[in-house]
Amino acid sequence: MAEYTLLIILFAPFAGALALIFVSNRQVSLVRGIAAGSAFVSLIASVYLFYAYDAVKGGFQFIQRIEWSRQLGISLHLGVDGIGTPLVLASAILLFAGIFVSWHIKDRMKEFYIWILILAAATIGVFMSLDLFFLYFFYEMSVIPMYLLLGMWGSHTKKYLEMTDTEGLRQRDSVGFIFNFGANSKEYAAMKLVLFLSAFAVAALMGILLIYKFSGLNTFDILILREQAHFSGPLATLIWLLIFFGFASIAPIWPLHSWSPVGHAAAPAATSMLHAGVLMKLGHFSIIRVAFEILPETTRELMPIAAVLCVFSIIYGGLVAYYAKDTKYVIGYSSSSHMGYVFLGMAALDYISLSGAVIYMFAHAMATGMLFAMAGWVYDQTHTRDIPSLGGLSNRMPFISAAFVIGCMASIGMPGTVNFIAEVMIIVGSWNKYPFQVVVAVLGIVLTMAYLFKMMRGLFYGSMAEKYSHSHDAVTVIDRLPLLIMITVSISFGIFPGHLYSVVRSGVDPLIARITKVVPVAEHPMMNSPHAASPLVPLPASREAIAKVTPR
Amino acid sequence: MTFSLTLSVSDLLLLLPELFLTAWLCVVLIVDFSFKRIVQEQLAYLSILGLVITLACLAWFDVTGITGTLFGKMFVLDRLAIFFKVMILLATILVILLSIDYVHRFSFFRGEYYFLVVMSALGMMFMTSANDLLSLFVTLEFATFGFYVLVSYLRDDMASNEAGLKFFILGVFAAGLLAYGISLVYGETGRLVFSEMSGAAPTTGLVIGFLLIFAALGFKIGAVPFHSWIPDTYHGAPTPVTAFLSIAPKVAAFAILLRLFMVALSTFKPVWALLIVAASILSMTYGNIVAIAQRNIKRLLAYSGIAQVGNVLIGLAAGTKMGTDSILFYLLTYLFANLGAFAVIMAISNAVGSDEIDDYSGLNRRSPFLAFAMLIFLLSLAGVPPLAGFIGKLYIFVAAIKEGLYILITVGLINIVVSMYYYLIVVKKMYISEPLDSSPIKTTGPLRAVIYVGLAGTLVIGIYPQPFLDWAVAATLMFSNLVGPAASIPPPVTPFGG
Repeated sequence: MAEYTLLIILFAPFAGALALIFVSNRQVSLVRGIAAGSAFVSLIASVYLFYAYDAVKGGFQFIQRIEWSRQLGISLHLGVDGIGTPLVLASAILLFAGIFVSWHIKDRMKEFYIWILILAAATIGVFMSLDLFFLYFFYEMSVIPMYLLLGMWGSHTKKYLEMTDTEGLRQRDSVGFIFNFGANSKEYAAMKLVLFLSAFAVAALMGILLIYKFSGLNTFDILILREQAHFSGPLATLIWLLIFFGFASIAPIWPLHSWSPVGHAAAPAATSMLHAGVLMKLGHFSIIRVAFEILPETTRELMPIAAVLCVFSIIYGGLVAYYAKDTKYVIGYSSSSHMGYVFLGMAALDYISLSGAVIYMFAHAMATGMLFAMAGWVYDQTHTRDIPSLGGLSNRMPFISAAFVIGCMASIGMPGTVNFIAEVMIIVGSWNKYPFQVVVAVLGIVLTMAYLFKMMRGLFYGSMAEKYSHSHDAVTVIDRLPLLIMITVSISFGIFPGHLYSVVRSGVDPLIARITKVVPVAEHPMMNSPHAASPLVPLPASREAIAKVTPR
Repeated sequence: MTFSLTLSVSDLLLLLPELFLTAWLCVVLIVDFSFKRIVQEQLAYLSILGLVITLACLAWFDVTGITGTLFGKMFVLDRLAIFFKVMILLATILVILLSIDYVHRFSFFRGEYYFLVVMSALGMMFMTSANDLLSLFVTLEFATFGFYVLVSYLRDDMASNEAGLKFFILGVFAAGLLAYGISLVYGETGRLVFSEMSGAAPTTGLVIGFLLIFAALGFKIGAVPFHSWIPDTYHGAPTPVTAFLSIAPKVAAFAILLRLFMVALSTFKPVWALLIVAASILSMTYGNIVAIAQRNIKRLLAYSGIAQVGNVLIGLAAGTKMGTDSILFYLLTYLFANLGAFAVIMAISNAVGSDEIDDYSGLNRRSPFLAFAMLIFLLSLAGVPPLAGFIGKLYIFVAAIKEGLYILITVGLINIVVSMYYYLIVVKKMYISEPLDSSPIKTTGPLRAVIYVGLAGTLVIGIYPQPFLDWAVAATLMFSNLVGPAASIPPPVTPFGG
């Protein structure tokens, strides 16, 4: 049974989606039951995966390999390492939480759950693919559900809704797909997202095809390619750039980010959660899996590009988030700002910083998932996302406002949340190589505080408009469950990061050793000690400890 | 060259599918004339029965490996021909199912409609077996003949008449080009059979001759710059005929293109590869960009069809065994997605009475099944995983990148994104826009059957393509030794029973 864990995680949501096709939309509880049940199976299996993953052994585990096409050299090759495991867990948690966040969807609930299950399953598929073809297959497969989720259950921006002239609206609907007039309809957001991501995905596909041709191995298998394929010179640079920018668009790195906040804003809550929580990480993950694994030398040469761009991501995203008036824009831009930290952690190519980047992906999934879930709740209650018109909601929603504070704290990186650990690791790990970027990143944290507190005050404190006096708090277990799950995960890993850390390190160590060609001078004490999973091992915060493990 | 006109029984066996279908054709016609009160549905199912029996016969040939040539190599039955014949028969069966409801719109000659459809299918089956220039000309004209009538079958409809006239005039023009090209090629080489032609020196007359033949075949497949008849003909023709036209003649013409370019012209591949690359780039780009502006779903699919042909030509430009495999596989995926999409179009057209994309608004609320089916078909045409179209496109790209056609692949990849835009516009109408009229749409049995077949094909090939890939690979074994000029003559085919 245990060896099929990955198949269960991957196919449980697909099976749920398939089962939902045959259920009538009127059987509300059955629809919800199937969706939640399949997400639960996937969640349980991924929790098992996370704890059963042997961090001491490292490498790819739970490998499944099913021959798929002989002619093309493709097999459904699944397996997780220390980098994929936490991301699979994060996807499963957010899927499960997302099902409950969208519990009260009235319109075409069955179809909503079908698409969200397919979306989540496709992202999970990327995190466990060891075959370039299937990596792309699942990657591209996650895009179309986004289109439908945004278009069918999304919401327009305030500016768009305020447009009253019907002729103008019609024109904006038709021509607006190409020339958006500053007022984003959900259709525009959805179309932009799909075209943007597809355009860059085909660039990545070109890179994959070039790898396939010039490796001469007639296979798409990452494990074979990374051992036997060697690329150098301009070709390697070209492939690397195609792969990097192709996948970085979904991450989203500045200047390829513009689809993302628009998409967040239009999406329903559960979709935003999955979008910001896991979909964006597909970019980082795919870069790590493809560029880092197959083109290590080129990665070492060219990764400074990411170090440059991440500065813009952090500052630009933070500043726009500060001035944005729309709750989802704030969180959306904060997400693209925070993804800059991941790029910084990746760019430094250091054991600590890359581990920090991977943990940050996991941490950010929880934090931003919470914030989007609550922004969605506020929107459902008040039907607006306009911060200036809101205020004082903490009287009506004590639970939500308290959870929101925790979400903000997690997002900022308060000690006690897993985000803190990740941020510290990124900052500490990249200090030697990129001190300027680290200063920017620290300033970015201050900026994060500024805009999140500003939004918190704008939503929950101050005076409340009369028309919102009928809004409700999340009182039932169903409504509170998703938030509680994400808070619990965020805080418990913040206090007990041991297993997460050792799992991530087991994936990062061989990768960085390959790229930098330097084996860690002194293996980190946590790795080989009998207390590997001990929660109380302190973080490597002192300079000496870092100097030991950081190759110069 | 001498023709040996002695036909043994075993030779006749090779012709069995065509002979049987010819006989069945007469049966259909006689039944139609003899029984005045026969319902047209019965004729339709009678035709389908004949086609299914032919299909079974071909399946038996494929399994037992019966191959051979006839009439001094004019007619060849190999696995390639069987593959294409099976595709044509499948398309014909689905088209007849599509037609059953539509035929009520014809005020007359309902029975002859099926006769003409099956006759065209018969012509196209011969086309896939054409192995020399004469049979190429005769079978091509035979196949097109039925279509001239079918396109203008709505006699009282101006658009249908216009479509028929346009198709006829340009079709006859193409036939003239073809005949002239054949005469030039024969004059230069003194040969008619494709396989004997290879190795000829590329003189000016020969090059012009082949250019003319390519122009005529380009007209059949609707590649730019020979596409101009497509939009109006697709728009005006009765919808089932459009569906038929959008797949079957293309499939048959590709069979000839493969034999012509891969066998007869294998020695000067570098020359024609450039021609194909140019036609491919033009078709993809033109088809996709113009499709964006379309407001009518039939015209949209017409332009998207031009673009799809551009995609298929990438495989031909690769000019390898793998390239031909990818063409066969791609056409198979295109068959299911395209005919499925036409089935949805007909279901909606029956209910709404229009083919405008605006009338697809809110289709998801009116008929979730039709909307879902259309979504799957359009996404397969766009090439989105896990659907068949994605595997088809990827296979073609892999075949092309092995030959180093980087520019062509880049253009192809960019075109995927462009095409996604207009397919998603339809998806947006169906799923996001609110319905203008919220009455539910009923689908009749035959249409439903076609949609189910299309869905099954699109999903199964997309998720588990291995058997279909194997089938395509086995069908093109004759091209596997096409490495250089020396090996360009296919191995002698042992006649059946000999």
